Amino acid sequence: MSRKPDVLETAESIGHAVRKRERSAVEVARVFVERAERSAPRLQTYLHRDAERTLAMAADVDRRVQAGETLSPLAGVPIALKDNLCTHGVPTTCGSRILEGYLPPYDAHVVERLRAAGAVFTGKTNCDEFAMGSSTENSAYFPTRNPWDLERVPGGSSGGSAATVAALEASLSLGSDTGGSVRQPAAFCGVFGLKPTYGAVSRYGLVAFASSLDQIGPFARTARDVALLFNEICGRDERDMTSRAEAKPIDLEGLERGVKGMKIGIPRDLLSDGVDPEISASLDRVTKTLREEGAVVIDVTLPHARYSIATYYLIAPAEASSNLARYDGVRYGFRAKSEDLQTMYASTRGKGFGREVRRRILLGTYALSAGYYDAYYLRAMKVRTLVRRDFDQALQLTDAILLPTTPTPPFKLGEKVDDPLAMYLNDIFSIPASLAGAPALSFPSGKTRSGLPIGLQLVGKPFEEGTLLRVARTWEKKSGDPLGVPPIVNGGGRA
Amino acid sequence: MPIDAKVVHQVATLARLHVDPSEEPRLVKELTAILSYVEQLQALDVSGIEPTSQVGEGAKAPLREDQVKPCDVRDEALAQAPDRDGDYFRVPQVV
Repeated sequence: MSRKPDVLETAESIGHAVRKRERSAVEVARVFVERAERSAPRLQTYLHRDAERTLAMAADVDRRVQAGETLSPLAGVPIALKDNLCTHGVPTTCGSRILEGYLPPYDAHVVERLRAAGAVFTGKTNCDEFAMGSSTENSAYFPTRNPWDLERVPGGSSGGSAATVAALEASLSLGSDTGGSVRQPAAFCGVFGLKPTYGAVSRYGLVAFASSLDQIGPFARTARDVALLFNEICGRDERDMTSRAEAKPIDLEGLERGVKGMKIGIPRDLLSDGVDPEISASLDRVTKTLREEGAVVIDVTLPHARYSIATYYLIAPAEASSNLARYDGVRYGFRAKSEDLQTMYASTRGKGFGREVRRRILLGTYALSAGYYDAYYLRAMKVRTLVRRDFDQALQLTDAILLPTTPTPPFKLGEKVDDPLAMYLNDIFSIPASLAGAPALSFPSGKTRSGLPIGLQLVGKPFEEGTLLRVARTWEKKSGDPLGVPPIVNGGGRA
Repeated sequence: MPIDAKVVHQVATLARLHVDPSEEPRLVKELTAILSYVEQLQALDVSGIEPTSQVGEGAKAPLREDQVKPCDVRDEALAQAPDRDGDYFRVPQVV
């Protein structure tokens, strides 16, 4: 049964109402701030929230509306930012003790863009420390909870950004995705999450984890809202040499054109084992609908995708061990007291980094060290080439590849936290697209019998984000509103 | 080479990362599990395959004119220092 949507449910309708002066930005911001005040302490979605600052930003948008300025579609839209995006003068910790109290002297590129667009920031969201994790339990501060079941994880690493949109504490949010950190929490929380093509969005001011993989991506409640946020942040920025001018805004009306004649590939070989039956059933339902809508669905193979986790857990820690060398206690952040410099470095890093980050620094340092470089890091980069070729071939035959975002529905807090390898294996479906640099979208496809969200993933050709959203939009229109809003939005919720 | 406490200690020294001796047994176990999992890559034939270090044109660094631009963040940047002396970051004794 579909409900009549409220104006405040989508970013598109909020922006429209603000520009038409049907709602003031302050009025909108108040609703979201009040909701966050009720649910955020239970969900633990934010590391930093400042209602006064949020309302002041909204008041500024109202002044711009009054002055007759032409405003962007996101003017007055409440947006949350993952805490690894630098915000001028606002705490940015990456969920780590080593950056406790750090106030960046500049804004990230995406933050600059959103400020100029008149977005209203709700706060900085919780995440796994330095974006390393799949459950947000690796935050040095506290874990975030899944809005659909408070005993379960929201996914990670961008768990706070996913949960806050699911719980309508923010209309949109930004996260970062290195091996699935936008898509997996989007699936677990029942919202849309896009990892753009590598190079589509400038990472200037995104705290680096694994630079050959990191991308900033939007969370939203509708396919059209994903496009609106992507459009505001994409494109060339000379401060990130990997950012590309080919990244162009998506035509929203193009998303309404359906899938007739489109070719969609399903990588059956990768799905042969270990997919939860309810997720498989959801994949079948979506496949059937897309066929009915005129798409041609075929089987494709990604023979090297099963090597992706092994490849990723060499490349990402290697890059992380290098990127995180900058945290030495000299210029900013936490410093451990010590009598000499070498001990100060080691002690600052030993105390400032949490378990998972230390584990990955050691793993990466080992993989890059003399005698092991060829066997581990270099070999992993070669296998990465094989994974990319698989995607190139599969996407020559198809417009998009459809697969689950995760092998299981959201797991319970504490379930995998003491078994790092089990946590890593959860990323089997999201990592391949990361290695290929391909755009990938997780969209809500339904619910399990026990009411937990299920997400499916579409992977496409470079800079074809719009194609993925068009497919997801087709399903969204046919399925109505499969999830609704979690009970916590109205003050309910288990635990 | 199998991971043991000595290897963990050596790698931790390279990474300038203090590891408490009480943590070493757990790290040996976890790193061994991860490294035996990634062993599967050794089964693949990668001869003649070019490594991917970066996807897309980003692999080629685009060049631009060298221009002087203002970057007036000195005071704000220095304000983040855990310890400073005027316009300098202060650190413990080096030698």
